[in-house]
Amino acid sequence: MSDQDNRLRCSAITRRGTPCNNYPLQGSEYCRVHLPLDAGSITSPETGKIGEAGENAPPDIVGETLDANLRQQLIRELDSLIERVRAMTPGYSPPPFSPRRLLELIRENLENFSPELRLGILEKLRNSVGEDLFDIDTWKGIWYILNYSLDSQRDFLRRRIRGEFETDEWGFDLEVLEAVKPFMDFMYYKYWRVQTIGLENIPESGRALLIVNHSGQLPWDGAMLGTAVYNEHPTQRLVRTLYASWFPTVPFFSALFTKLGQALGTEDNAKRLLEQEQLVAVFPEGIKGAGKLFKDRYRLARFSRGGFIRMALLTKTPIIPVSIVGAEEIYISLAKSSMIAKLIGFPFFPITITWPWLGPLGFVPLPTKWYIDIGEPIAMDGYGDDAASNLVLVSQLTDQVRNEIQEMIFTRLAQRRSIFTG
Amino acid sequence: MGNQAGGVEEINQAAGERLQDRKVILVTGVGGYWGWRVAEALCANESDHIIGLDAEAPLEHIKSLDFIQADIRNPLLVELLRFEQVDTVCHLAFQETTRPSEAAFEYNVIGTMKVLDACAEAGVRKIILKSSTAVYGARPGNSAFLTEDHPLMGSRLYGTTRDLVEIEASCSGFRTQEPQTMLTSLRFANIIGPNAATPLTRFLQEPCAPILLGFDPLMQIIHEDDVIDAIVFAVERDFSGVFNLAAEGPLPLSKLIGLAGKICIPVIHWFAYWGSGILGNRAPVTRYLPIEPDYLRYSWVGDLAKMHETMEFVPRYTAEEALRELAGLHRIGRFSLESTSLALDEERLRDTIERRRRIRKQQTTKLTELGENQANE
Repeated sequence: MSDQDNRLRCSAITRRGTPCNNYPLQGSEYCRVHLPLDAGSITSPETGKIGEAGENAPPDIVGETLDANLRQQLIRELDSLIERVRAMTPGYSPPPFSPRRLLELIRENLENFSPELRLGILEKLRNSVGEDLFDIDTWKGIWYILNYSLDSQRDFLRRRIRGEFETDEWGFDLEVLEAVKPFMDFMYYKYWRVQTIGLENIPESGRALLIVNHSGQLPWDGAMLGTAVYNEHPTQRLVRTLYASWFPTVPFFSALFTKLGQALGTEDNAKRLLEQEQLVAVFPEGIKGAGKLFKDRYRLARFSRGGFIRMALLTKTPIIPVSIVGAEEIYISLAKSSMIAKLIGFPFFPITITWPWLGPLGFVPLPTKWYIDIGEPIAMDGYGDDAASNLVLVSQLTDQVRNEIQEMIFTRLAQRRSIFTG
Repeated sequence: MGNQAGGVEEINQAAGERLQDRKVILVTGVGGYWGWRVAEALCANESDHIIGLDAEAPLEHIKSLDFIQADIRNPLLVELLRFEQVDTVCHLAFQETTRPSEAAFEYNVIGTMKVLDACAEAGVRKIILKSSTAVYGARPGNSAFLTEDHPLMGSRLYGTTRDLVEIEASCSGFRTQEPQTMLTSLRFANIIGPNAATPLTRFLQEPCAPILLGFDPLMQIIHEDDVIDAIVFAVERDFSGVFNLAAEGPLPLSKLIGLAGKICIPVIHWFAYWGSGILGNRAPVTRYLPIEPDYLRYSWVGDLAKMHETMEFVPRYTAEEALRELAGLHRIGRFSLESTSLALDEERLRDTIERRRRIRKQQTTKLTELGENQANE
């Protein structure tokens, strides 16, 4: 085991309720994602009963004319409530958003509210006498949470506008990844219930080239592979997927792909990434694979001219074959229209059972069950220095990798009973 | 210096002696900003003799600059280079234009070719050119880092880029034809700085900067002082070939605009290209947008490996520092005092008076010589 495994992990609990897998930042016991908790706990030593905050829903206002006597009575009650809160917390200087302050604020501004609202507020207050609304810790908790989330969001926006955020030289932006992650996690765990097998074949550090089969019209498979490795691999590696040169011309995809640390599929990019000891994923089928018709599913399209093998030989990078099963059925593509594709500048224009008939609804994929199988690495360092220019060897290795992935797909398909339940 | 007492002959004699063992550097385009700045920086080194060449006088007088007023396309340039025994030529004469103009093309491209030919003819040892990484072109298929041998596919919509591509193309021909002449092209990224007028500084002039909705390419920048430093560095040391130069670390356009203290205004990219399909060079976009839409859409980041390894040049400013400095200056700009500019004016006027006094003295001595000659006849 490498020394990285012995390092401490972040002591926070993730939103799914499992312990966080990230490494903590220096001088803190929390990782980058959960650092706010750390900061929050410094300012508020006891933020108990936070969970009960949700029960204090806004008052349900009923349109009712206000009786003057009732109003006088309510104001008297309010005064006594203020007194009670004051008596309960002697010598306590309230934060700006405490029951005492709140009541004082209501008292001051009661005249400005409409009669219905006034009644509603006062009645809500009366109803909650004896409930935990007057527990000071509840209010403290609510206050800190509100304050903190507002602060962090304001700070996030301010930093975005002022350009105070960090990207690496490829444009990878961790904040954007963290923003997209909840959605990707939903697709990964809930929607497609992806099962990833063989993650131990991906090295904990150092260069590796993942060769993956492509399918499913939209690059969902790349996103899920990235999510799988990011979430479940022990060192939480970022997969640098090489994408087709069509994407940079598409708004939002262009910016998003760069910010998620992906790179355009050119030999220069691949070489540089591998020399930086990154984990690179390649879909050698390219557009032909993505735009596969439903009747051709699980039959690998032609692999491109073996550029990825040449890259691996040149940089002596191990190749890891990966098969993704389940992505082929997310859109049932019946035909392709090359005329429309040319007209709107797309590489292909699929006609599925929902697209383009249902408009944007056609983008909703089917909730199939996915399997990502990660094969054993194929070493590429035993071939000598000029192997990359040996065309025969390159084409042999291309076929070998292709056959291996095809084999992995068939093995998985043989075990699969249903498209939707696996 | 025998400036006041000795008279012109003594100066000339002294100058002649010094000329023997001094390296002669000719800077073209000293009437423009870059030529003037480079000439000024080179003049700081007393051991070199700096000649400035331009059709217009420099913006500000430089004391030890030997200024010659002539156009770079003058056919007698060869004679000048030969007579002065010029060692290095810094070719910085360039007319920046947004819209392609024939006059600018004539001056930039034909002018550069004439300068290159004259240098080869006169046996100049080294030529330095200032170019831009925009010559690679902003294309969807660009690698994240473009090396110097990337094909030149710069846009033909904007004059400056078009002319630079033409110049670079003729340079590669020149390199194979005249291998004995060292030709160094310095391809700078977006230049930014308090004084320089470049597409990027014009882009960042207004409080809001347009970006294309859904596109956020990586950009590279370099501070104007680093541009001057790099050119001087290339004059002092010898490297041949093409070099990309930029500050460390490419940064997304949105971050660039944010750090410069401006606000991004996203524009749908169809509108940015509006009319350029039919109208080409005359499209409205060339009038309003100092940087071409393609260059705001795709990244065109140069690979800096050659700058680090072969040239060993280290820019002083990082991208963020340069941008923060610009943002600070824009903020101060509103409150700038008249007195600082007045102080500068005073200094300038003192220089001017001194210069005029010297010229008058020369003229009077010439006149008396003329008078003596006539009397002798």
